[in-house]
Amino acid sequence: MPAIVVEGLERSFGDVLAVQGIDLQVDEGEIYGFLGPNGAGKTTTVRMLTTLLLPTGGRAGVAGFDVVAEARQVRATIGVALQEAALDPLMTGRELIRLQATLQGLPTGEGRKRADALLERVDLAAAADRRVGGYSGGMKRRLDLAAALVHEPRVLFLDEPTTGLDPVSRKTIWEEVQALNDDGTTVFLTTQYLEEADQLADNVGIIDRGRIVAEGTPEELKGEVGSPHIELVVGEGAVPEAERAVAELGKLRPRKGEGRVLLEVEGGAADIPRVVRALDEAGIGVESLELVRPTLDDVFVEKTGHHLEGEEGGGDAEGADEPEAEASPA
Amino acid sequence: MEAATVQTQAPSEWRTNLATIAALVARAKNELLRVPGAAIPGVLAPTIFFLGLNGVFGSLIHLGGFEISSYESFIVPVSMLQGAGFTGAAAGVNLARDYEQGWVDRLLVSPAPRWVLLGGNVLAASARAFVPATFVLAIGFLIGVQWPGIDGLVVCYLMVAAMAAVAACWGSMLALHYKSQSAAPLMQAGTMALVLLTPAYAPLELLQPWLEKVANINPVTNVIEAARQGFIGSVTWGDTWPGLLAVAGLLTVLGALALREMRRTNV
Amino acid sequence: MSDLATGARVVGALGARSIRQTFRRPQLMSPIIVFPTLLLAIQTGGAGAGIELPGFPPVQSFLQFMLAGSMMQAMMLAGNSGGIAFAVDIEMGFTDRLFASPIPRFAIVLGRLAGTAALGLLASLWFLAIGLIFGAHIEGGIPGALLAISLITASALAVGGIGAAIALRTGSASVVQGLFPLVLVVLFLSSAFFPQELMIEPAKTIAEYNPFSFIVEGVREPIISGIEAKQTLEAVAAIVGIILLGLGLSARALRHRLRTG
Repeated sequence: MPAIVVEGLERSFGDVLAVQGIDLQVDEGEIYGFLGPNGAGKTTTVRMLTTLLLPTGGRAGVAGFDVVAEARQVRATIGVALQEAALDPLMTGRELIRLQATLQGLPTGEGRKRADALLERVDLAAAADRRVGGYSGGMKRRLDLAAALVHEPRVLFLDEPTTGLDPVSRKTIWEEVQALNDDGTTVFLTTQYLEEADQLADNVGIIDRGRIVAEGTPEELKGEVGSPHIELVVGEGAVPEAERAVAELGKLRPRKGEGRVLLEVEGGAADIPRVVRALDEAGIGVESLELVRPTLDDVFVEKTGHHLEGEEGGGDAEGADEPEAEASPA
Repeated sequence: MEAATVQTQAPSEWRTNLATIAALVARAKNELLRVPGAAIPGVLAPTIFFLGLNGVFGSLIHLGGFEISSYESFIVPVSMLQGAGFTGAAAGVNLARDYEQGWVDRLLVSPAPRWVLLGGNVLAASARAFVPATFVLAIGFLIGVQWPGIDGLVVCYLMVAAMAAVAACWGSMLALHYKSQSAAPLMQAGTMALVLLTPAYAPLELLQPWLEKVANINPVTNVIEAARQGFIGSVTWGDTWPGLLAVAGLLTVLGALALREMRRTNV
Repeated sequence: MSDLATGARVVGALGARSIRQTFRRPQLMSPIIVFPTLLLAIQTGGAGAGIELPGFPPVQSFLQFMLAGSMMQAMMLAGNSGGIAFAVDIEMGFTDRLFASPIPRFAIVLGRLAGTAALGLLASLWFLAIGLIFGAHIEGGIPGALLAISLITASALAVGGIGAAIALRTGSASVVQGLFPLVLVVLFLSSAFFPQELMIEPAKTIAEYNPFSFIVEGVREPIISGIEAKQTLEAVAAIVGIILLGLGLSARALRHRLRTG
């Protein structure tokens, strides 16, 4: 039985359709990466699957229970670590996990045992009796993750679990997620980081402006895109001229950041000398040159025409993902 | 249909629910015990009102219509109930803050029934209300408030706890509806109006006609009369049951509205 | 001259901003309008029979008597709200942006005070309107009303200065907010809500010397009987004293903040 089944799921906020009829399926024991820019609809989707938001169309089932009709059963089988680590700064780490255990219906003794074990697991045993308000960002995320696991959920939802963390903390979270999955937990992970989806996910769904634009394993998706591209840094102001100089040598891609030219080339590294010669003849200096193999961002560009990372502004639905609380209907 | 971790046996579910309520009440006490000075505004405001009103309006006692000669005894239960109202409103403000900070999501995503989550917040307010009430009463005794007798004290504190619960239901309803601390003035103004649009400052007969009409309709008038009876005379069942009925009615209505809002947070 | 013009423009712009802020955030407007109006209704309804007490000044109604006190309350809460908003600006870093601009430093404080004074003006108009709607007479007529409005507006400037000084000194909105009970204490220990002669000791003696009692009497007299030179001058003196105190404290606190960051 699939762990998560979504059919035509929709969510509108007034006139804004934040999630526009998505379909997906996550098998048991899988890590599913839900990748997209800010405002794409990732958090809205997670909130619907975790019963925090009612869909306005379509249906979804988690662990065999309908998220609307059987919401309570869904909550009993899932663990959730949301985008904003929902922690009480006045509580200690140990108190928080014990409270979570109580909320999940665990008897007091068992809750305490599991809390202690989880604090050890996420390397917070030493800080367990300190107030959460004094924890670092990484510690808070680990605590949030531990709280989500106290009742040994079948399905774990992680909404951008490493956003804002330093590389070391991020790696720690990745290792923990992998270990959980090795133990059999299904993980639904939303992220805006390509590397995260690439490293962790068995399957990736790419969402943009409320729609799934691509789905498959990371390798399948990258394979669809095809050719590598040359990324040149030519300095501000020289980009239009540089693009004119190399336009006939390959296929120009949408710009990404200032002073960069992206050119898809069929011959790969063999085309580099021709490109350099063309720029030299045009009198354009090259600050750096790199041959880049396809990434999930390339997949995103292919499907949507804009970059997932490194471009100013996100999707059209920026801010539509979670509108102001005051604006939601009574 | 799988139900691997869902508990369906009634006794253990009740035990779980009570444990959850107890855990939420325990969490609420952190605000008082772990934030230096957090208790002070909640205690100070009703005390200032008590002393201030006594100093300002104390001469009203010379008007015919008051059954006793001690204005402070007349208004001390009002200030205690006002403190209960502030405490309940504060519970609503805290819930709104918890909502803004994402904490409420943690509660909502758990399998605990919605009434249990609400009950924890409301019960915590009832318990906290004893702090300002006792402070006001202690100050009252120092300046000459009459001893209400054990029965008078018990009825008064019962009304205080119930009033705090009523105010917490009101505050929680607004917090869950607006999902923002900007609703705080509405929470505070609502409880203030409820407590003071009554024979708070003077007996019914001495109120201006419009306020007399409003006070006659306002159920909290019965709550005040019940809380006040020991301080101005003796406790009778005739003065007590209307107060009990009033709080039961208010809790039923406001509790239902708050629960409705809690169930609609995902709309 | 052009420095003065610049300063005036800055004060005007910052004053307009502080007014806009208040209207956009209901939790700032509420203490200025909602609570004092609610209290006015409750106190006139609950304690209105007090005008029957021997020694109560001759008034048309308790509402007529209470208007001045309500205006004072709204004005003082506007001062407190202004202080809170100023402290929030400091916490958010907005004042750093102003300090880094080529504007006169004290214009930043005056801009905030201009906003508070405008709110005081608004509050006085509101309560005069409430009074007129519910049948209270302004015995001093239009000159009396204008005098009351002017005294309240000037008082708002005075109280705002104290709020600004505390905000600058502490940089903490919660500290300024915590002073709200103090506002109530000052009001209860004045003749804002009841004639000083009929209050109970020790409130009665404190009210006799409380500078805010002088201000309240100065605002009240034109409403209940007409303009009287003595009460007016006493009110002006009290306001000037508090303005000097507020501005002095603000200037000191501003210098301290600029020095220490």
